[in-house]
Amino acid sequence: MWKINDKGEKVFSLGKEAWQEAVAVASVCTYFSLDDDDELVSEEERSCYNCRYRRWIPESFVCLK
Amino acid sequence: MRILVSIDDTDNLESRGTGEIASLLAKLLEEQEWGKAQVITRHQLLVHPDIPYTSHNSAMCFAAEIKEQHFEEYLQIARQFLAKESAPGSDPGLCVVDLERLKNEVELKEFAFKAKKIVLNKEEAYEVAAKTGAYLSEHGGEGIGVIGALAGAGLRLSGNDGRLRGKLKVNAPTRLITSGEIKQQSGVEVVHSTEGQMIEDDELIYLGETIKAVMLDGRTTLLVFPNQTEDAKWQTCTKNYLKQF
Repeated sequence: MWKINDKGEKVFSLGKEAWQEAVAVASVCTYFSLDDDDELVSEEERSCYNCRYRRWIPESFVCLK
Repeated sequence: MRILVSIDDTDNLESRGTGEIASLLAKLLEEQEWGKAQVITRHQLLVHPDIPYTSHNSAMCFAAEIKEQHFEEYLQIARQFLAKESAPGSDPGLCVVDLERLKNEVELKEFAFKAKKIVLNKEEAYEVAAKTGAYLSEHGGEGIGVIGALAGAGLRLSGNDGRLRGKLKVNAPTRLITSGEIKQQSGVEVVHSTEGQMIEDDELIYLGETIKAVMLDGRTTLLVFPNQTEDAKWQTCTKNYLKQF
């Protein structure tokens, strides 16, 4: 699910369209915090894709926690 | 006079977002009774490893009518406000465009759309600002928010980029409502399908979880797509679909 990039950051290895997996990960994450409404992209609220600690990168996102 | 106010890179991971700062800037204008602000739009810029954005690299912009005698004062207050309210570690930029004095409009739009595709630098932003007459200033950090702020203004000016901040306010307990009622209640100007088909005022729409408008052809637009049930022919788009705007 995760890989470490050359900057030592934790990258979600399934990309930007793994909706169910992003929900599954967020469901057990103690750091999850919902981002501003304007930045939400997943219909399922509790998803890594909606988390304020995700930083979008071209192919996926980096988890900042 | 008519202006555009655009900001970028005012936040950090824990602070309030750039959208909220834009909203406060708009409110400030109206509280002083200096003018009236219009909707705030969010503009997605390039996501790239060489760009040090916080988490999504988006700019926020609003258009406003302002009494000419208050323009300079508002500009001053906006600068101070941004410097004070921006989060530690952010690189805030402010762009204000006086639309009546704007020169080289095409160049501003070109810069804006380039900022969605390639990495630009501050010098390029200041150069375009000088050519177009756009006011551009940085308020802390590296000040690279000026790139996004200028791009945000250009994208808003294009009328074909961005989604509106916040959700449309529509009251429909059954989730079924006509296109005409949506326009009347929310102020959205146009309802059309994702394929470009205009939706007549008497056509029924099923409201999903997300009721967000986008800016298309200079008009606030609610996009819908064909509904699979018999209750209504159309339904509102998902967040996932709208993220492309």
